[in-house]
Amino acid sequence: MNKNEHIVQMQSVIKTYRQGKVDVHAVNGVSLAIENGDFAVLCGPSGSGKTSILNLIGGLDVPSSGRVWVDGVDLSTLDSTQLSSVRKDRIGFVFQAYNLIPVMTAYENAEFVLNLQGVSEAESRERVMATLKAVGLEGLEHRRPDEMSGGQQQRVAIARAIVTRPAIVLADEPTANVDSHTAESLLDLMQQLNREQGITFLFSTHDQHVIDRARRIITIHDGKIESDEIQA
Amino acid sequence: MNLNKLAWRNIWRRKRRTLITAFSIGFGVMLAVTFTGSGDYTYTNMIDTGASMGMGHVTVEPVGYHLKPTLDKRLHGVEMLREKIVALEGVSDATVRITGQAMFASARKSVGGAFIAVDPAFESEENNLLIRSIVEGSVFSDRAGRGIVIGSRLAKKLQVKIGKKVVYTTTDAEGEIVSNIARVTGIFTTGENTIDGIMALLPIASVQKTLSYAPDEATVIAVVIKDQRHAEGMRDKVAALPEAEAADVLTWKESQPDLAAVIAFDKAGNYISQLLVGLLIAVGILNTMLMSVLERTREFGVMMAVGMSPKVLFKLVMVESFWLSIVGLILGIIITTPWYYFLYNYGIDFSGAFGTDFSYGGVLVDPVFKARLFKESMMAILGTLFMLALLAGLYPAWRAGRVPPVESLKTI
Repeated sequence: MNKNEHIVQMQSVIKTYRQGKVDVHAVNGVSLAIENGDFAVLCGPSGSGKTSILNLIGGLDVPSSGRVWVDGVDLSTLDSTQLSSVRKDRIGFVFQAYNLIPVMTAYENAEFVLNLQGVSEAESRERVMATLKAVGLEGLEHRRPDEMSGGQQQRVAIARAIVTRPAIVLADEPTANVDSHTAESLLDLMQQLNREQGITFLFSTHDQHVIDRARRIITIHDGKIESDEIQA
Repeated sequence: MNLNKLAWRNIWRRKRRTLITAFSIGFGVMLAVTFTGSGDYTYTNMIDTGASMGMGHVTVEPVGYHLKPTLDKRLHGVEMLREKIVALEGVSDATVRITGQAMFASARKSVGGAFIAVDPAFESEENNLLIRSIVEGSVFSDRAGRGIVIGSRLAKKLQVKIGKKVVYTTTDAEGEIVSNIARVTGIFTTGENTIDGIMALLPIASVQKTLSYAPDEATVIAVVIKDQRHAEGMRDKVAALPEAEAADVLTWKESQPDLAAVIAFDKAGNYISQLLVGLLIAVGILNTMLMSVLERTREFGVMMAVGMSPKVLFKLVMVESFWLSIVGLILGIIITTPWYYFLYNYGIDFSGAFGTDFSYGGVLVDPVFKARLFKESMMAILGTLFMLALLAGLYPAWRAGRVPPVESLKTI
């Protein structure tokens, strides 16, 4: 298997946490490859290791052993500053609790990562406006998070995740905090972005709505891959 | 959005907390201005008063005179040197004087004391504390006459009044005992008991004649400068004059070491108390910034997750400290300006508590608590408080970037 053909590859990854005097294997020998343009979910019960896998792929955490490649970059060789750089340029995050920066408007939240990348103001403006339009937030650019509904906030989070044109968007329980109607519309949006713009999505969820929409379902149990299926 | 804008918005998330911290910085500015301004005013006053008591801010005297002040040591060509000194930039006045010990005797009593022989044409209330403090009669007008101005306590000891005769006895240039007679033309009261009890002013030409000095010989040229802080520079300028080659040129610190020591000691105490106030303010800022960082741990985790590096996060918190300091300093200037205006123009009169004759370090101190802040003191206050505020932000800033994003994201 050529690592460069995949956006993400994990090879025999183990992540062990120390809880008191006991070692807990949150991820236990996972090997996994995510293809470019995939729309995949990691599902499984709470505590199965879904979020830990997502954190390892996102470079938010480092494996105890094994290796993780994202867009051809071996994360295990990078220090914290280099990992920040990989996250900034290649990965988009969508969190369960939106995690927008409260003092920034929708526009500024989406623009924030482009600023970190050093993108020019004119290009930033063009990309942010196009992205906000794509996620259905045209006209709401100047609203702050506390002036928006949960669904709108999650759309801003999605805009922030995709505005940098990342190699992959990692979404951790993105529909957990919204009602089912909003969840469906968010999923419609992400599916549309996947289809039309070819953005790769990897979800961590136990929401059946998300699982039903996924092209690929990877079931995690006790830190291991229990099954890996492609849906028709 | 750039870091500055983000930091500015962040500090106003908790308006009340930011304002309380900013006011504590502002209060620090007020305290520092009050104490430093009072120090600048009082020390300048003491130094200027000390200078007008005889020796000037810069003193030109015979070699070794300040270690062993005997009248056989004397300067030559004093008038030419005085003229050269007066022509120097920054010199306000220069006067030729003879200082020495003498025994004063009246018809009833004899008292040991000291004299300053002066030329009345060059002496005034501005440059001579004793003339400024005359309470009876006036200063003699003839430099070669037989007038004498004495301290009120000395007059009391000698039991003399205006118009009465006083005989002064001293040793001349050859070490011989010589004496002359003078008539009291004025009595001064400085409020400093030692000065009022031993000092007398005599006409310089009479004293030169009595001591067998040539007309251009004296023991001291007292140089009064416009700004006492430049005494060292002026000493070097005067010492560089060819006419001063065979003389000692001293600053007031060297000619009045007791006064210099008192001021240095007082300044040190002042600095320590101000440093403690500064540290208290720094702890307040540290607390504010740390609280602000700890309550945003998750947000910082998100920022790092989307690509902000620990270095940029450190910078963000430091920029927040910067803005907090700036707001505090601006508030400080706003609340301190009217207070300083009051202290500068009116001050607080403590004469009721201490009397008008309050002396410290051998010189008289104004009983009115006033403030005059030097420009460099103001810069030092603002700079020090600003630096303290930034230093207080260092730990929270370091702390912000230390927590791994995966841990930060777990916090609620």
